[in-house]
Amino acid sequence: MTMILQKMANSSSLWLKADGPEAGIVFSCRVRLARNLEDFTFPPWAKDSVMKDASERIIEAVSKSDYLKQARLIDMNELSSTERRFLLERHLVSVEFTEGGNYRFLVVEKGEMMSLMINEEDHLRLQVILSGLQLMETWRLSNRVDDQLEENLNYAFLPQWGYLTACPTNVGTGMRASCMLHLPALTTTRKIGDILKSISKLGLVARGLYGEGTESEGDFFQISNQVTLGLKEEEIVDNVERVTRQVVEQEKKAREVLYKRNKTQLSDEMGRAYGVLINAHLMSSKEAMNLLSKLRFGVYLDLLPGFNMRILNELFFLITPAQLQIKEGKELNPFSRDELRARVIREKLSSLK
Amino acid sequence: MLCQICGKRKATFHFKEVINAEERELHLCEVCAKEKGLSESFFIPSFSLSNLMAGLTELELPVSEEVTARCPHCGLDYAQIRKKGKIGCSLCYQTFKDYLAVLLEKIQGKVYHSGKVPKKGKLEDKKQRQIYKLRKDLEEAIRKEEYEKAAQLRDEIRALETIRNTHHAIRDTSNDNDSSENG
Repeated sequence: MTMILQKMANSSSLWLKADGPEAGIVFSCRVRLARNLEDFTFPPWAKDSVMKDASERIIEAVSKSDYLKQARLIDMNELSSTERRFLLERHLVSVEFTEGGNYRFLVVEKGEMMSLMINEEDHLRLQVILSGLQLMETWRLSNRVDDQLEENLNYAFLPQWGYLTACPTNVGTGMRASCMLHLPALTTTRKIGDILKSISKLGLVARGLYGEGTESEGDFFQISNQVTLGLKEEEIVDNVERVTRQVVEQEKKAREVLYKRNKTQLSDEMGRAYGVLINAHLMSSKEAMNLLSKLRFGVYLDLLPGFNMRILNELFFLITPAQLQIKEGKELNPFSRDELRARVIREKLSSLK
Repeated sequence: MLCQICGKRKATFHFKEVINAEERELHLCEVCAKEKGLSESFFIPSFSLSNLMAGLTELELPVSEEVTARCPHCGLDYAQIRKKGKIGCSLCYQTFKDYLAVLLEKIQGKVYHSGKVPKKGKLEDKKQRQIYKLRKDLEEAIRKEEYEKAAQLRDEIRALETIRNTHHAIRDTSNDNDSSENG
């Protein structure tokens, strides 16, 4: 198992390639479908024997799917907590899944664009992630994978309520469609608060993660649908995509304004961020995220020759704590992690000269 | 500011989520954030404050006789489901139909499913398909504010559902035959 994870640690997910539309601003888009088996108790209440039977049926259906039959099958119980954490950092499992538990499996296809959690809160949690803003395509792909799995599985479904899930917040389509956006300019110009608020009035969810003293860690935000019942999947996707597009336009404008207002100041900020990143010997996660966010903005503005978006995207994921430890092949204390993180960044940036 | 989980240590992790113009914040200390798997992490797509807080708040619901009923498949009663905030199995959705209808209306609005339908399984039942279509018509009628038509459709659905329920009860006793047919 450890070998598989090391292999993964040495390659990057395909959705980091930054080859999708608007990839300079939209990091990725994701569709998640929740499904349960008709005659099986849902995982939060199920006995081990039921979880076992359910997982066997699902794994069999997976082996018959063109999309997933080549995929890796990972038993969460065989992993250490760092290894589970590694899968979380790669956006392949949920926080709940990192707690481990019997008969919980991750199915992940090689490029990591398609994956499936078995026996999370629902029997199946199918996920597709693509680069940039192409949510409709992401839905179509997940729909096809779902069709194939359904050929061999009997899903819990009621005409009036659609796909039945353990949590009532997922009933209906069982779908969560989301876009992850990088919004440094809207954050700097302090417009982000109002925008997030107005998004939420449209029945969507906007969330950000921000650290002490700074507005956001790495300036990343996520937009997703709130309601899963009563709308067609295409309508949900269309809503999220349309609103995301509007935010993208606003971010573009804000970037342009910042650039026109004071190009020298921006160049100075990028240069300083680069200077710290390429010279530091100790680098915390938080500091790295904030500096890399500046570089990512710089790449968009063409202020950093020799860089491209893909390398930046990959760097965000190369420096997460569990990733560092899996690649190094041993557990590291926070100090050693900061040291290794600084080294990984230095080496990567030097190779671009 | 103190951590909202332990209430002892200083909060250094701040999460913000806006749903329906309602802003929710969660402030955690380093230890609790780590315990919830949220510290030092790159943005996690599946993370949601509402999920995190689901265990902390109990669902408020009206009382009816369903409260004493137990789901014939998984054996849960509604008090258990309510406490955990998680439904037991697909049959729970029928056993606690009235409860869940109220709950779903609160969370999702007064709507019916209009998305994808599995190709096989339940909808092969002709009556189910009929009900499904009628429900869509009903939704449409309500949207167009054609209330007379809506009332008529609602009666038709009810009539079909009564037939279906008796039919279902008979099928349930011959469960073994059913599963072998499907398998």
